[in-house]
Amino acid sequence: MKSDRREFLAVAGASVVAGYAGWRGGTDERPAPKAALGRSSVAVVKAASYSVDLVSRMLEGIKECGLDVRGKKVLLKPNLVEFDPATCINTEVSVVAAAYETFRTLGAAEVRIGEGPGHRRDTYALAEMARYRTEIPKFDSLFVDLNRDDVSPIQRFADRKEIYLPNTALGADLIVSLAKMKTHHWAGATLSMKNYFGLVPGSVYGWPKNELHHIGIPRSIVELSRVFRRSFAIVDGVVGMEGNGPIQGTPKPVGVLVMGSDLPAVDSTCCRIMGIDPARVEYLSMAADVLGVTDESRIDQRGEAIRSVRSDFNLIKEFRQIRLA
Amino acid sequence: MPDSYLAVRLEALRRAQASGGGWGYFPGKQAWLEPTAYAAMALLGEPAADKAWALLQSWQMSDGSWKPSADVQLANWGTSLCVTLAIARGEWGDPLRKGVAWLLGSAGVESNWINRAAARVGLLNAGRDLSLKGWPWKEGTSSWVEPTSHALVALKKVTASKSAVGGSSLSERIQSGEAQLLDVRCSDGGWNYGSRAVLDDDLRSYPETTGIALLGLQGVKAAGKSIDLALKMVQGSVSPMARAWLTVALRLHGVQSPALTGPETPDVLITALEALAAPEGNYRLMQTESAT
Repeated sequence: MKSDRREFLAVAGASVVAGYAGWRGGTDERPAPKAALGRSSVAVVKAASYSVDLVSRMLEGIKECGLDVRGKKVLLKPNLVEFDPATCINTEVSVVAAAYETFRTLGAAEVRIGEGPGHRRDTYALAEMARYRTEIPKFDSLFVDLNRDDVSPIQRFADRKEIYLPNTALGADLIVSLAKMKTHHWAGATLSMKNYFGLVPGSVYGWPKNELHHIGIPRSIVELSRVFRRSFAIVDGVVGMEGNGPIQGTPKPVGVLVMGSDLPAVDSTCCRIMGIDPARVEYLSMAADVLGVTDESRIDQRGEAIRSVRSDFNLIKEFRQIRLA
Repeated sequence: MPDSYLAVRLEALRRAQASGGGWGYFPGKQAWLEPTAYAAMALLGEPAADKAWALLQSWQMSDGSWKPSADVQLANWGTSLCVTLAIARGEWGDPLRKGVAWLLGSAGVESNWINRAAARVGLLNAGRDLSLKGWPWKEGTSSWVEPTSHALVALKKVTASKSAVGGSSLSERIQSGEAQLLDVRCSDGGWNYGSRAVLDDDLRSYPETTGIALLGLQGVKAAGKSIDLALKMVQGSVSPMARAWLTVALRLHGVQSPALTGPETPDVLITALEALAAPEGNYRLMQTESAT
């Protein structure tokens, strides 16, 4: 993916225009050593629209993945970025509401919802525009603005000595990445792992969280997934976004929820559904065999077969080379 | 019992102040620089504000910058807010001088010589003029609208004071920062968080960022064409934070803005901004020399 221009700048040590022109910045150092991981289960469940019974579908998928949340403190992390009524940027409110009900039903001791949008300062207003505040009962008492939560330092994050992260996320027994199935103009695809950018507090790093761009977007995605290993993913692919995602793309109905405890396995499955080769998505190739499995032969596919739900997403020209053969 | 829009908010701020003198983003949470600085502006002249300033002074680091909270050891954009607050309080001592010096030495890394050279020979198209210097949220990253605008307010207030603080580079940085804000203005006339387009697709402006950008562009004639949009935004936005910032900015540009209404919120930052934005509020503390 690196152009000559990017190579020139890398040599010059100038990772400086991230967020403006797509320069990824940071070092290209990859996590090591690679560990031999076993197999992972990923459930693909059909949901033709947001008006179907999403709770029963989530229960079905979670059962297939063998997740036990009894007695645990669960944090639901939707993808709430900004609002545009003309498209579908955020995790749909009915998916968030269904996940809340699902984890309560499964016996979680506590279920909260938390997000730290990367662009907008007024998180509650954004939640209102996305109908979270009106359609999720008692939303304000369940919700934590992770951009403005109390924070604690975590030692070692990529090439940084430390990173400050929100206490609500650090204190959760399980974080559920309620991601949206979208293309991404810098990363190729944004799914359950990239969704964790919203765990980084704006109060320390700003809006956008430009520090992550300068570390390098793929590296930051992997590092956040490393820090938050106690995770489960539910990707909202009922209606995804194709083209110039994650903000300016167009709706792409797919009709699936994709679930699993191994985030790289979930995201690589989503990529295959989207017609994207996960081996060509840099952060997934970095995470492979380090944080999870991405090789299709090592993923136990539950529910629908990928080929039965595959629906190729339009890709911007900068990412056409990641198309799955 | 206080009942005016402003009185209700000031009382809420007094109640929410922590014993150490600071404010969290929400009552009962850790104190942060941002809500503390705005609450101290809103309550200027009261003992609560004095206590807040004492706490903020303890957060200034040896390089002159301010950290964003007691426990986060990073130089932070909020230095601008502390400089503005210091000037409002008439505190012209070392904390202010060191804070201004730090701001003058801080710039988004996109404008360093390597990138400017790369842009000049066509190796880099950042979609903006890299000869212009703004301010980042955090050292070592790129400049963005909000920290640039707050730095402009702080440095313009230093200039307006005609003090010896800052020296000759003040006016150069102010002009460059203003030019950068104008350079990244969206095609709809407002401001996104920092860029006007991504991959040649125009970005929509945000109401809160548009208000904050106009704050930094007080006295700049070219900002005028954004005022009508700001007026529309203040009436149409669902965000109380955006309405407060837009109202502050419009007042400082000498434009009548509709009175803010709405219920109290437990959000301390928004409460402080709403108090500042009230007609009799302390929004003038962010007024700069060129404002009408």
